[in-house]
Order: sequence, then structure tokens, then C-alpha cells
Amino acid sequence: MNRSSFIRRLSLVAAAGFASLFATSAALAQAAPPAAMRETMAIGDEPGRVSTEEVIIREGAFARQLVFFRSTEPVGTLVIHTSERFLYLVLGNNRALRYGIGVGREGFTWSGLVRVSRKAEWPDWTPPPEMIERQPYLPRFMAGGPGNPMGSRALYLGSTIYRIHGTNQPETIGHAVSSGCFRLANGDVIDLYSRVQTGTKVVIRHAATL
Amino acid sequence: MSCLATRVHRTLPVLSMLAAALVLAGCASTPAPVAQPQRPQIRPAAYPVSALVGSWGIASYREDRDRPRTETMARQHCRTPYVITPGPTDGIMMHVADDPKAYELTLKGGADGKTYLGFETPPPHAQDREILSLTENVIVMRFIAPDVHARYGTFVYVRCPGGAQAAAPRRT
Repeated sequence: MNRSSFIRRLSLVAAAGFASLFATSAALAQAAPPAAMRETMAIGDEPGRVSTEEVIIREGAFARQLVFFRSTEPVGTLVIHTSERFLYLVLGNNRALRYGIGVGREGFTWSGLVRVSRKAEWPDWTPPPEMIERQPYLPRFMAGGPGNPMGSRALYLGSTIYRIHGTNQPETIGHAVSSGCFRLANGDVIDLYSRVQTGTKVVIRHAATL
Repeated sequence: MSCLATRVHRTLPVLSMLAAALVLAGCASTPAPVAQPQRPQIRPAAYPVSALVGSWGIASYREDRDRPRTETMARQHCRTPYVITPGPTDGIMMHVADDPKAYELTLKGGADGKTYLGFETPPPHAQDREILSLTENVIVMRFIAPDVHARYGTFVYVRCPGGAQAAAPRRT
């Protein structure tokens, strides 16, 4: 994809995606209130549930693992295959460290070439206005920490509104659930964060190439 | 004789029933004292509920070190204020956790000396918030349910410019 095409597509996705950015990361079924509780309308959207930062995907295809990966990208490059739900950290010699990820749901996927513009531990979260409209009880700003839907770490992608970040819902790894961001289990994003520097090249591919 | 025997035979069951009724009535007339559960009382709150009315910038934090910048961010988010209006009776219209519908809530004093915000039920109730501090322009509160507090953190409400009680509400 050439640069202008990428920017045009990114703009469209951004306009649509900002409306509900991270909305699904907050999705969580609410348990029925006990009888003693006053019945109020239950909704699915909540800030992320609390998850310990040690949560790591340890089994199955989405577990962090060393894999064969043929690529001409320089060592240290991040390659994201949204269709596969994998993020690869290129190690050279046809090898890569592969992480399972959650990606944007239909209509919120994108591709392109960006760089890591910023890194943050326990990043803050600012719900978009549309989310506030839907959930008026939300804080307009949530300082980072356990329970914050952004999870334990974030890698900001260029000047876009998208990030590679943690999640308190590791069961969503391998699924298309977000509004365009790429999510890893909190323990895995901590590992990735320690291996990636600001300025790292990030290649996002929507369809896997052979 | 047989007539007397018949009369006694007829009368005995009636007498037995009367005796039984008297015994039962006797039981009923001297009830054993039943311990009534001590119902927590709603005590007067330390603050008037009207102190919450107005437009507020709201933000939340988890670590005390984040409190100052959270307060700053709350102030900056007055462009999307949370508006608290008077309720139909003596309370104020606000939300409980995870519910987009506003309810009439009130300030309540607890037996523990704390001030709670919630439905008009004896505090502390699972859907209550605890008021940690309240001044004219800044309120700090948290949900008392541990799981809800863990998800939302501690809330800071900063009164928005022109967001005094008399200000016209934009929305809640």
C-alpha cells in the first residue's frame, strides 16, 4: 500500500474508530445484582476488569514462542499480521518471537508502516466523547493502573490513535474485538515492551503474505 | 343414664377443644421476647446534599501519587462535564456504577461516622459511594464495592467554572 493510500485509509478508519475507541476492551458481562441490591439497568460496557500483570498466554498458538519467520525486515522490526492475530518481533536468521494478539473488529482493521513514537507503563486512559455519551458515569480521564482498560504497557504507533497495549481480558487474545488497537495479555506486553525501543519500525499487514 | 352418658360423651370433645384453645391462647398471650435485628439507621450526613449540585469535571486515579494530576485532568475535562441536578424529592440525580440511567441518590451518614452517597437505604450499602472529602469545589469519592472500586479507582470531582448549583445543567 502506498503512503497516500495508507493515509487516506487511516483517516477513514480513524474517523470511524475514534467514536468507540477501546469501547470493546471495556466490554464485560455484568453479573446480576444480588436480591438486596436495587435493580438498575445492567449494561455490558465497563472499564476493564482487574487482571494481575503476570497474566501471560502460556498455551496454544497464541503463547509467546520462537518461530520460523522469513522476512527481509531488519532485526527488531515488529510485524503484525492482523488476519493471523500474531505480532512478530524479527530476530534475524529467519526467526522471530511471536505473540498472540487481539485486533480490530471488522471495519476497524488497517495496515501500514509506522514507528513506535512513545512508550508508557500503566498508561492513562481517556474515554472518547462518544463513549462518555453512552456511559455518562465514566470518568473523563482514568490514571493508569490495574483495572485501566489500557493494561500494563502501551506502545504508541506514530501519530495515530492506535496503540499496542495490554488488556485485562486475556481471553480476547486471538479475536477481532478492538477498535483498531492491538492488544496483548498484560504479561506479554510487559515482555514485548522490554524488547522494543522508541523509533522501532512497525509493519501492519492485514493479510498474511506467503 | 344413657342420656347423661351421651351428653358427657358429646360434651367432652368440646371441653377438650376449649382447654386446648385456652392453652394455645395462653401461649399466645405470653410471647417469648423475640430479638429484633438491629436495623442500621440513616443518620444525617455531614454535608448538605445540595453541595453536590452543579457541573463537574470528573477523573479517577488509583495511586495517591496520581491524585494531583488527576485533579488537573478533571478540571481540563469540564468540556464534557458531569452535571448533577436536584432530584424530584430531597436528593440529587446521579448514576450508580455501570448503569447509564440516572437515579435519585442522597447523602447519608453512617454509624461509622463516614458519609455515603447512594439510594435511600441504610449505609453502607453495596451500591453506595463513600465521600472521602468534600469542599465547595472538589469532591473525592469512591465506590465501596471492592470490585467496582478496583475497576474505576477513586473519583475526583472538580467544579467547573460557572458550574455552581444555580447553573443550568447541560446533561447528566
